[in-house]
Amino acid sequence: MNYEYDPKAPEHIIRRDFLKQLSAAGAAAMMAGEPRSLSANDVGHFAHPAATADSCILLWMGGGMAAPDTFDPKRYLPFEKGLKVADMLSTFPAIPTAVSGLEICEGMEGIASVMDRATLIRSAVQPDLGSILHSRHQYHWHTGYVPPQTVAAPHIGAWMARVLGPQNPVMPAFINIGQRLEGVGESEELKAFTTAGFFGSEYGPLNLPYPEEAAKSVRPPQGMTGDRFVNRNRLYRKLIDQSPERALMSDYQQESMLRSMENAYRLLSSKERDAFDIALEPEETRQKYDTGRFGRGCLLARRLVESGARFVEVTTEYVPFLHWDTHSEGHTTMDRMHKEIDSPIKQLILDLEERGMLERTLVVIASEFSRDALIEGQPGSNAADQARDKVDELSEMKHYGLHRHFTGGTSVVMFGGGMKRGFVYGKTADERPLMAVENPVSIEDLHATIMTAMGVSPKTGYDIEGRPFYVTKDAKGEAVQELFA
Amino acid sequence: MISRLTSLFFFTLLLPLSTSAEAKPIDFAHDVVPILQKHCVECHGGREAKGSFSLNTRALWVESGFVDTDDVAASHIIDLVTSDDPESQMPPKGKARVSDQEVAILKQWISEDLPWEAGFSFGVQSYEPPLKPRRPTIPAADGNRSHPIDRLIDQHLAEYGLPRPGLIDDATFLRRVHLDLVGLLPTPEELQKFLADQSPDKRTHKIRELLADDTAYADHWLSFFNDLLRNDYSGTGFITGGRKQVSSWLYESLLYNKPFDQMARELIAPSSDASRGFIDGIKWRGNVSAGQTVEIQFAQSLGQAFLGINLKCASCHDSFIDRWTLEESYGLAAIYSQRELEIHRCDKPIGKTAKAGWFFPELGQIDPLASREVRLQQLAGLMAHPENGRFTRTIANRFWHRLMGRGIVHPLDAMQSKPWNEDLLDFLAISLRDQNYDLKQLLELIATSESYQSQVEIIEGPQSGDYVFRGPRSRRLTAEQFLDSVWQITGSAPDKFDAPVFRTKVSAEQKTDLKLKAEWIWGDSAKGVPPANETIVVRTIIDLRAAVKRGGAVLTCDNSHVLFINRREVDKGDDWTKVRTLPLHTLLKPGKNDITAIVTNGGATPNPAGFFFDARLQLENGETVSLSSDATWEWNPNAPTTREGRLGGIKGTWKPVTIVEPNKSWTGAVNAQATALLAVAADGKSLMVRASLLKNTALMKSLGRPMREQIVSMRPTQLTTLEAIDLSNEASLARAFETGARHLIAQSDGDAKRLTRELFLFALSREPTSNETQIISDMLGEKPEPSKVEDLLWSICMLPEFFLIR
Repeated sequence: MNYEYDPKAPEHIIRRDFLKQLSAAGAAAMMAGEPRSLSANDVGHFAHPAATADSCILLWMGGGMAAPDTFDPKRYLPFEKGLKVADMLSTFPAIPTAVSGLEICEGMEGIASVMDRATLIRSAVQPDLGSILHSRHQYHWHTGYVPPQTVAAPHIGAWMARVLGPQNPVMPAFINIGQRLEGVGESEELKAFTTAGFFGSEYGPLNLPYPEEAAKSVRPPQGMTGDRFVNRNRLYRKLIDQSPERALMSDYQQESMLRSMENAYRLLSSKERDAFDIALEPEETRQKYDTGRFGRGCLLARRLVESGARFVEVTTEYVPFLHWDTHSEGHTTMDRMHKEIDSPIKQLILDLEERGMLERTLVVIASEFSRDALIEGQPGSNAADQARDKVDELSEMKHYGLHRHFTGGTSVVMFGGGMKRGFVYGKTADERPLMAVENPVSIEDLHATIMTAMGVSPKTGYDIEGRPFYVTKDAKGEAVQELFA
Repeated sequence: MISRLTSLFFFTLLLPLSTSAEAKPIDFAHDVVPILQKHCVECHGGREAKGSFSLNTRALWVESGFVDTDDVAASHIIDLVTSDDPESQMPPKGKARVSDQEVAILKQWISEDLPWEAGFSFGVQSYEPPLKPRRPTIPAADGNRSHPIDRLIDQHLAEYGLPRPGLIDDATFLRRVHLDLVGLLPTPEELQKFLADQSPDKRTHKIRELLADDTAYADHWLSFFNDLLRNDYSGTGFITGGRKQVSSWLYESLLYNKPFDQMARELIAPSSDASRGFIDGIKWRGNVSAGQTVEIQFAQSLGQAFLGINLKCASCHDSFIDRWTLEESYGLAAIYSQRELEIHRCDKPIGKTAKAGWFFPELGQIDPLASREVRLQQLAGLMAHPENGRFTRTIANRFWHRLMGRGIVHPLDAMQSKPWNEDLLDFLAISLRDQNYDLKQLLELIATSESYQSQVEIIEGPQSGDYVFRGPRSRRLTAEQFLDSVWQITGSAPDKFDAPVFRTKVSAEQKTDLKLKAEWIWGDSAKGVPPANETIVVRTIIDLRAAVKRGGAVLTCDNSHVLFINRREVDKGDDWTKVRTLPLHTLLKPGKNDITAIVTNGGATPNPAGFFFDARLQLENGETVSLSSDATWEWNPNAPTTREGRLGGIKGTWKPVTIVEPNKSWTGAVNAQATALLAVAADGKSLMVRASLLKNTALMKSLGRPMREQIVSMRPTQLTTLEAIDLSNEASLARAFETGARHLIAQSDGDAKRLTRELFLFALSREPTSNETQIISDMLGEKPEPSKVEDLLWSICMLPEFFLIR
């Protein structure tokens, strides 16, 4: 097709005929309505940076992990009747860590002991999206885009699966541990971002809601012995070989179908499938991790990364009003959450280090936003308003805690993967509102940092339905260089 | 105006900054494009390339040698635009110079290696799709190829010197046409009957017979329209009342084969709430970007679903893909909008207000001063206008794609592109109009052609270059087709569905011995004549011993009602002469259920008022339950507030309702309708539950059923590894094969040969070859064990031959 001047076309309207610029393979993908990778030719200079990490484990504190009660301790006042909420900042005292001068909250002594392997960002910020809703901020954190979008945005795990693929071709590239997607509140909202979006399900997550049952998902169906599984596949191969329609098998579509079936069989009958079975760990190790589903998920993540998975997310699970989503009994719940995450995270870091993998594995602890004790945002408000004073005094223990959503200053921890060790970046105010007052890090820049560590340019993009769609919003994310070792 | 000094200052400041990390990177679309448009495009853009320099694409810039990204200052282009030499300067003498600030931006742009918007070109696409319908000349028939589609295809093949693809045999035809038209496999009995049939026009008869199976047709095409209208039974938005289904309306439209123009009109300008969900879109909680407000969603959905126009680009800025502008998108949105719509470019207001208008003023225009209702009606009329050829071409192209595996314009939502055969597309489109937008006629037209009934094209690898027709393309089964087929073979379909629909037609002459049990009820005021505009609440509580398997209600109210079941709004009506129906199998739960209606009398002076509700339910324990408005219901004068479709608390005491003696106009208008409708609602006929009627599941999602938050008009064509893992070990599928194995053994009296044959006939519509029989009997042995049959079933259902329609 040629570009020609069309006298009837309205003036000053730019049109493009993108087909013109496609390579042959790209054209085929385009014809199928599938996304096409954008090249330097399309978008100007861009090159993938040298990777400092080969795999990434995201430890997701779904529900809004309160920074002042975890990684960013502020003035601590213990519970007493009549305590003014306005005076309450942290509900846990600070404890020292392996890094001199760095303190985190009591209850995380294990993590404190490995903070010398960590970069701690205390100034992650989220934009104001009107009402501060978990689902929208989680979507934003996981895809880099604020919902709703006109095309289905891919999860960052899907981006890694699409751009990098698995380290080991037998393993699924993107594995999601611990989040149930059925039967929990807001499950539809969770599904909306737990997806490969327009990349298609090849790059989507393998969902493993129960770590202890993960082995099942890569095993033959329940009740089928290994021999029978092998025999079933043998029969299948024979029937394919003997098919009178063999002539049609050169068909591209059939070939790709058979390849996928073969891939699935390979995983389901491979030694790598043992990586999904945490029961194969020594009892002693399992105990160090086993604080609950999250802890077991961390152990599973370690095994999967050892076997060549690219991106693994492990969540404490988002269920409205549970876990980190503390709208009452905040302090008590927080105490339980500390116990749930402390030992497995410490052990994960030590295990990766012992195996010589920490250098090339980026472990990220993050959450959709932080929390504060006072009133949360309303539509049209800004982050500073989220900490608006509301006169209140504590009468009962259940009111003691950080019960409100806050997007002005959130902590993110990164271990390994080329990040600095024992390093703190950014800071929040010491008095309410606890806003990031130094080096704020947006989601775009945080994602750019993670992607850069993984060797993916933040400008990486795909053309979908004629719209360029980038791994960081509009290709604008910039890696925070100061964080790299 | 910037003084020379300040702009110089700005200029010198910008350059060193541009190399440091803090500099704002150049924004091509917003910073560079306007400069080039202002100074350069007139002579070097589009078709113009004065001095052999075209700036249309980034590649052309790189090739031109006018830019040096390593030494920006040495770039020829910078020399030209900064030169004082009237002979060589650009733009030429007499035109406005490029300002220093603009030069600085160009330099930064070059130094950053010419960032470009992917796919963007200053070139003008030469093809503009025609608007009006066109009746192409159908070429003369070659021999007995008399079907108009074949005559057009033969001409196309002759043009490319290609042979006609061979015709398929009866069995292949039967399997293909079954899956394509009703989404099911032909049973072995149907297959054998069809093969034995000697009549010459048996294929045409079969096509008509399938299309006449209203329920199977509706079950199958429901998925197509759910995708196109992003309608579903669960998903984001429903929980907060920010989204409404159009399922009942849609299913009924398909069941009765409503003409497509009428469907479009009812969707665009809904006459009732039943079809309102499409234009209302999804009201998300919290702030959304300007490109995702309900008004802009309206424009996007309308453009994509009915015109194959992708307005997603043009809702943020003038489209780079086609000719639509931001203002035109907002004009469409403003038709729907109830507020003044401020135009936003990439989320920033541009200081203009949208004026309601639509894309093709040649057909007529929207009156921006008219009420919203009138504007929507005008739009509905224009969209389904007989002279709107883009409307008919878009749907005809979608149907061709479904049956032939590839659109005549492809992808389907890029209707700005040139079709590979304009005559063919125009013929299908005008035929649809000629046949009063009857979609079944369109399907019949395509399916009766030899082109449809020919062998599939074998594609050896990814395709490039222009498409030419070499036969239909094989299509993989959709999630729904796959599950329905497996359930057919294995007899393991679930016994309850989620879609709020009635699957059978009401026929006027339907004999029913069903008697209405409901009475008309109201509050105390009905002891006299109820005052105008009185609003009260009526309710009942029903305790069910088991879940509802099927059943539904008929209801109406003089003058209007809002019905809540378990405190959630489920129905609304304000025309008492139209009896409303409500499927109840998804709304009632075992145990206590609260059924409450807020009912309002109308009029200006006191006048009769009454509420009527009658339901029949079949429970999963086999029990039959009637639930009818009668003296056991209670009323309360305190109408509560409702929020996000939820019933608020109701104060005050409840008193028994007053039974209202129905007047003649009530009984005349309502009784006959209600009886017929209730007969359908209570219909005990047990049809196989189809996957299209179920909420999305992990397995279906994996097999490609979209989430329907966005319109997805094409399902994936490839099978992915994650899908293959699910197919290999997913529990519900494994159970289906297990059930199926037991059925097959019972059906064949445990005879391995018979079993194999039955299975092949059902799954693949053919006999097994002797080789296949041998392999299978070696595996099964004399007396087949269930586990082995299960593995055989799995193997057959995983064959590409099973998974593909061809």
